[in-house]
Amino acid sequence: MLLIFFIFSIILCLSVFLLKKKIITNLLSKIFLAAHSFISINAYLKINQFDSPYYKFDSLAVLLSFVLSILSVATFYHSYLYLKRHKVSKRQEANYYAALMMLITAMTSAYFAENLAVLWASVEATTLLVSILIFYEHTEEALEATWKYLFICSVGIAFAFIGILFLSMTAGNNGLTNLSISGLISIAKLMDPLWLKISFLLALTGFSAKMGLFPLHTVAVDAHTVAPPPISAFISTTLMNVGFLAIYRIFTIVAHTEIIDWVQNVLLIVGLLSVFMATIQLQRVNHFKRMFAFSSLEHMGIVALGLGAGGIGFYAAILHLVFHAFTKASLFYQVGQIHQFFKSYWIKDVSGYFKLNPVGGLSVLFCFISILAIPPSGLFVSEFLIFKALFINNHPFVAIAVLVLLSFIIYTILKNVLHLLYDDVPVGLNFENVKVNQYETISQFVLLSLVIYLGINPPLFFTNLINGAISVLN
Amino acid sequence: MTYLFIILYAITLIYFALSERTKKFIWLLAIQGLILFGVVFFSLNEIDIFDFIFILLETIIVKTMVVPWFLNKVRKHNQLKREHEPYVPVFYSIIVVILILMVSFLLSSYLNNGNMHTQYFTVAFTSIIFGGYFIIIHKNIFSNVVGYLIIENGIFLLSLAVGSVMPIMVNLAILLDIFMAVLILGLFINRVGDTFKSLKTEYLSKLKD
Amino acid sequence: MLSLVLILITAPFFVGIILKVKAKFAARKMPSILQPIYDVSRLFKKGAVYSTTTSIIFKIAPLVYFSSVVIAAFFIPIGSLKGVLSFNADFVYFAYLLAFGKFMMILAAMDTGSGFEGMGANREALYSMLIEPAFFILIVSLALFTENTSFYGLFKSLQISTNLSYILGLTAIYVLMYIAMIENSRSPVDDPNTHLELTMIHEVMVLDNSGFDLALIHVATWLKFSIYGALISNFIIQMEWPLYWQLGTYFLIQVAFAGVVGLLESFRARNKLGKNPQWIIMLSAIAIVLFLTTLIITKKIILY
Repeated sequence: MLLIFFIFSIILCLSVFLLKKKIITNLLSKIFLAAHSFISINAYLKINQFDSPYYKFDSLAVLLSFVLSILSVATFYHSYLYLKRHKVSKRQEANYYAALMMLITAMTSAYFAENLAVLWASVEATTLLVSILIFYEHTEEALEATWKYLFICSVGIAFAFIGILFLSMTAGNNGLTNLSISGLISIAKLMDPLWLKISFLLALTGFSAKMGLFPLHTVAVDAHTVAPPPISAFISTTLMNVGFLAIYRIFTIVAHTEIIDWVQNVLLIVGLLSVFMATIQLQRVNHFKRMFAFSSLEHMGIVALGLGAGGIGFYAAILHLVFHAFTKASLFYQVGQIHQFFKSYWIKDVSGYFKLNPVGGLSVLFCFISILAIPPSGLFVSEFLIFKALFINNHPFVAIAVLVLLSFIIYTILKNVLHLLYDDVPVGLNFENVKVNQYETISQFVLLSLVIYLGINPPLFFTNLINGAISVLN
Repeated sequence: MTYLFIILYAITLIYFALSERTKKFIWLLAIQGLILFGVVFFSLNEIDIFDFIFILLETIIVKTMVVPWFLNKVRKHNQLKREHEPYVPVFYSIIVVILILMVSFLLSSYLNNGNMHTQYFTVAFTSIIFGGYFIIIHKNIFSNVVGYLIIENGIFLLSLAVGSVMPIMVNLAILLDIFMAVLILGLFINRVGDTFKSLKTEYLSKLKD
Repeated sequence: MLSLVLILITAPFFVGIILKVKAKFAARKMPSILQPIYDVSRLFKKGAVYSTTTSIIFKIAPLVYFSSVVIAAFFIPIGSLKGVLSFNADFVYFAYLLAFGKFMMILAAMDTGSGFEGMGANREALYSMLIEPAFFILIVSLALFTENTSFYGLFKSLQISTNLSYILGLTAIYVLMYIAMIENSRSPVDDPNTHLELTMIHEVMVLDNSGFDLALIHVATWLKFSIYGALISNFIIQMEWPLYWQLGTYFLIQVAFAGVVGLLESFRARNKLGKNPQWIIMLSAIAIVLFLTTLIITKKIILY
């Protein structure tokens, strides 16, 4: 089933890339989105079944695939607006959509992968495809950021490969001949703990470039500064989910061995350091999208803390991931509109947004309330659960340190937001030919209300999915 | 026989620390590909014949011919002649290579547990750590790519330790990595060279807060 | 005793063969092989001129240098012919004998009070310091491999092993050849023909010596070359061969060694002076690689 989807999307993507007509691009994009949603729903109906030896419809994969479907619809819509406003040529537009479709396909392959080698190869493919999209604006800074992104992600992926290699060495010693995850879980107790520790550490370092955790988080920050806003939305959310999924798979392999306490301590340290780095670097930030990128770093650090805490923390980590995806995406979509008005991303140039665009300003306000985990946002629920898990499992100092750091972050972000919304409009700003449709912000309101609804009163299939995802850990 | 290749591989790493010309880097990478070909030929003879021939061909074609040819094209396009003054003088780099060799030797003897093919671990770890060191001390992004390829060669050596059990998967992954890395990185180097008219990394430092 | 005689026999022709090979590659007219012997015998007949700033050290240094080299030759075996002296760990004594001779030469160079000679002495000391680890680590790894510490015992048991000794032998020959070229100040470290004072190393150290002393220094250089050639030939001569076979191989290898030195000198330019230290330490690095490989081969693990 998935193989058919991949071949189908490759054909679609090639046709978009080669034919370069606007109507065909529109039509094929809509067909692609429909196909992807169909795959998600199909995967949900066939949950926990193997599709082929390399793919399995795992619960976490289904959940993240739903998120991907919803966000890809929104991203395609906002990309359409972005490209229309920037008046790009037909060839560039076709390249953009083709790359975006291939990126979504690669991410789907990474979500559903059952085999570590397939997972690794899909993550590698996403790196390459996303760098095409980051470089889209062809400026000098974009070149610099893309080069750094490509290079450091490649080095990170090489380290992750060494980690997988060590894992396969111990697995090969115990008789396993392929890298399927369920096979690795079944022989996990027999594997040498030293090798498991080393391979986990290397995989964590390597995939932290994708997820945006402490060692290699810098590339995502630079990438965010130069990418078009819809792509920034994609990178911040679904691509970080891919990184999380890769780390999570390896975490499930070691979950029932004797090294689980050490692994959770490592995750706690990494999470704490991520939040710490985010706090420090946020004090000096002057650029809007960089600010949001550091906010993503902070949230991913909190997710790592949830994984490191254990117990209810597992549930809360996945919840946090989903909510963060929706909230951060709507933030970035709104940033596209902000750029339309002010033509700049520097914080000092942007102020008085409420007067210029009341609906947009309202959406920014709700987004920020959401991202700072203030109730009724769903992120409040997940962060509350994570802190509860930290206190229950005897890590009070970590929790207190993170709470203090979070208060600094809230202060900084709120300061910049209030400057954005309520300060005076900068003098000499001309905004006559700004074509901003009020109805564009509907997508963000939809996403935010989804976050609130899922946080306060989640439907049963949602909680079942998450519980199914963490069942292998208990 | 494989010990000969281990010695030769370590000597090429020392020559990497010693040399300063870009053409020599490419030449050394080709020689490393040849050495790896010899290593594969003499060690992986327990797997069936088709996998064996495929891995041999992949090593000799990709590592010895395609990658150096591609890097040569990039070098000519950007007119790179030599590496001006790395951050650490060459004399100390050679001492550092020896220190890395000894550290990786201690590391591999610590990790040794006797039932795996760990004869290559020493040079593999040396290669990986030295590749990282190489990336750090050179100021040119072409040298960054060369350092990445040194890391790749080290990973290839490591994968030979498990290659007798799971041959195809591991080596296909390496193949993908090298192709994508060199093609895309090579294309981007040309783009960076054309935009900035130079490949020094000090031009790539504008993105700051 | 016979090995000493053989070394003494091959010494005078060494530099002649090198010059002839170089001339042939440069398409020049070749001097006779005996030309260096004629030069040295001319020098022996002359008297020495001593500067008034020098002291007794300047007068005795060439003699000490020459005698140290001759005594060092006592230790070298050739094939199954034992050296005149042989005891455990005699290679350390050998290396330090040569170093003592060189030390006296450096003192003599500084004794003259000339700036240039001091500069040459400086550089010579640095290069000797950088190449010393190479020699020691090389011989130590061979000793580790064969579990014998005297020259004679080492080479005797080196013949018995199988193809691993070929690997060690090849790399050892490569390193030893370059050690010989550096110790005797040939290219690519030092060009014996140059007289640009800024780049001279060994020649400038002996600039003030004349007559008998200069002749002694030249003969000592030949002897050193011959000693290293004998060491190299030991890797190839097998102990089981009959005696005339061993002797024939020995002469052949000495000639081949001289030829290869001439070849390397013809085709390789002299290094930029600032690059010499890093080039020399590369040789030490290769020796360390050899040492570590020997540790792997003989399964002696350092830390567990």
